Amino acid sequence: MNESRPAAPASASRPAALRRDAMGAERRPWLGVALCLPLGLFLVAVFLVPVAGLLPASLTATPGVLGRGLEAADGATLANYARALSPRGELAAFRNSFLLSASVALASLLLCLPPAWLLARRDFPGKGALRTVLALPLTFSGVIVGFLAILVLGRLGLLPTLLAALTGERLLAGSAYTLGGLAAAYVYFEVPRAVLTLEAAFRRLDPEVEEAAATLGAGPWQRLRRIWLPLSWPAVASTLAVTFAASMGSFGVALVLARRLSVVPLSIYTQYTGFLDSGLAAALCLLLAAVTLAANGLLRLAFRGRDYVYG
Amino acid sequence: MSMARRLLAKQRRLGSGWGEGIGLAYCLLLALAVLLPVVVVVLGAFVPAARLGLSSEQWVEGGEGWVSLKYFRYVLDLYSGPLLFSVGLAVFAVAGGLLLAVPAAYGLVRYPFPGSKLLEEVALLPLAVPGIAVAIALIQTYALIRGEWWFVGLGHLLYTVPLLLRTLLHALRGEGFELERAAATLGAGPWQRFRRVTWPRLRRPASLGCLITAAVSWGEFNASFLLATPVNQPFPAALYATYTSNSFAVSSAATTIFLAVILPLLIAVERLGRGDLLSMRQGA
Repeated sequence: MNESRPAAPASASRPAALRRDAMGAERRPWLGVALCLPLGLFLVAVFLVPVAGLLPASLTATPGVLGRGLEAADGATLANYARALSPRGELAAFRNSFLLSASVALASLLLCLPPAWLLARRDFPGKGALRTVLALPLTFSGVIVGFLAILVLGRLGLLPTLLAALTGERLLAGSAYTLGGLAAAYVYFEVPRAVLTLEAAFRRLDPEVEEAAATLGAGPWQRLRRIWLPLSWPAVASTLAVTFAASMGSFGVALVLARRLSVVPLSIYTQYTGFLDSGLAAALCLLLAAVTLAANGLLRLAFRGRDYVYG
Repeated sequence: MSMARRLLAKQRRLGSGWGEGIGLAYCLLLALAVLLPVVVVVLGAFVPAARLGLSSEQWVEGGEGWVSLKYFRYVLDLYSGPLLFSVGLAVFAVAGGLLLAVPAAYGLVRYPFPGSKLLEEVALLPLAVPGIAVAIALIQTYALIRGEWWFVGLGHLLYTVPLLLRTLLHALRGEGFELERAAATLGAGPWQRFRRVTWPRLRRPASLGCLITAAVSWGEFNASFLLATPVNQPFPAALYATYTSNSFAVSSAATTIFLAVILPLLIAVERLGRGDLLSMRQGA
């Protein structure tokens, strides 16, 4: 499973040097353990232990500031989870995050099908440049995307200024701070994720199927409808999962843009640093991680055994 | 079949139908929409806001032209510390990433052991968990060392090591064993084989991985913001500080400095390994 070509079975006809050979992976597992030890220790200390530590923290009652949290109590309690999912607690944040992420995932899928298709299946001058430009938002953290949204859709933003020149009214002024503006900013950072995920998937599709259809006289439109669409549902599923998970986890955009409404990552930050309610923050962290891991799990199912990307 | 191939080759070229013309026009429009805010930022960094009629500044120097570098000077004065911190973090991420990922990739592929698949899965897991959750977990567990530069560096490694590891694993698995087998029959030990046969072929994917690592570390926000303290912040966290407390022009200049580093890296990765472009993604 680990190598692209399976090792040939050791047979009597092979030279003795090869049979004793350390290439036979199974014969020197201790060497593998030794080589992986630093990485393993790093992952345990910097990832597994802290993330596992969220569980006991989430089961502990924390009063927070201003007594906004819970009465300190002995023993484990599920109260933090109840508060996280109650209408008076953070349920609104979950609803916002979920609706925002689902609609943004769908919108970016539709927006990005044509460029992904062209990049994967067609040759044209400037293709690399087009891909680089579309990939650019990948490298922006959320706060940068939020700042860009303010430049374009803020109160003195570019678009309201242009619209004012055209129509005399400052349309869309300050829309960066609304749910719609948040969604637009999310779509901005999802475009490269969707384009590149779809492109990679379109590339993996076997061109011989298309060749066969072409010899049988199928035109481009027919090939798209009868071959590519049925074959590319895993690509569509993985794109939806990748973009959905990225939006659910996005913190920086909301940190810059969100005013009245909240999304889960922002709630985590506010609860932890603002209200010092580490119990509720830990519960929210675990619930959020469960959602994004579930999205990635679905992605895995769609791609059974093949190479897939995490969101 | 050759006729079909020719037919397809013709159709691979663009412009064989009006549908594709519309498709291309749409793509250009999308690319423009992506580029537009970036252009606004760069313009805003160079052109004094007063010239654009957007000034909210108390101090507008008289008689200045259309291009001014004063915002850059201001940012470089104010944020030289964070800039150096971020450069140091990128170096730390590259060095630490190579130390952790190169031996591990070699071990995972050439000397698999019970549980090596699991280790591989766990190593990729940080990418699947929201950055804010991991950052909160880290500062909750290690509250006492919050703010140490190497603690922030370890937080960055969490996101860069999986990318480097994946690039290396892909390369190692694609290469096959033949050359190493040949070296083994000639009597080369594991270390000699690695140094003389495997590493030369890993250099290219490793350099690509290092470019990606540097880019991701340079832009990483969650760990930079939450694992550091406000007194000593990496550049991405300082960017957020300018957004909340400085003028549009100063924020634009700071963002332009960010872009000036990230753009060459992005172009280099697109050139060297198109398939790895997606690895450059930032936890948004």
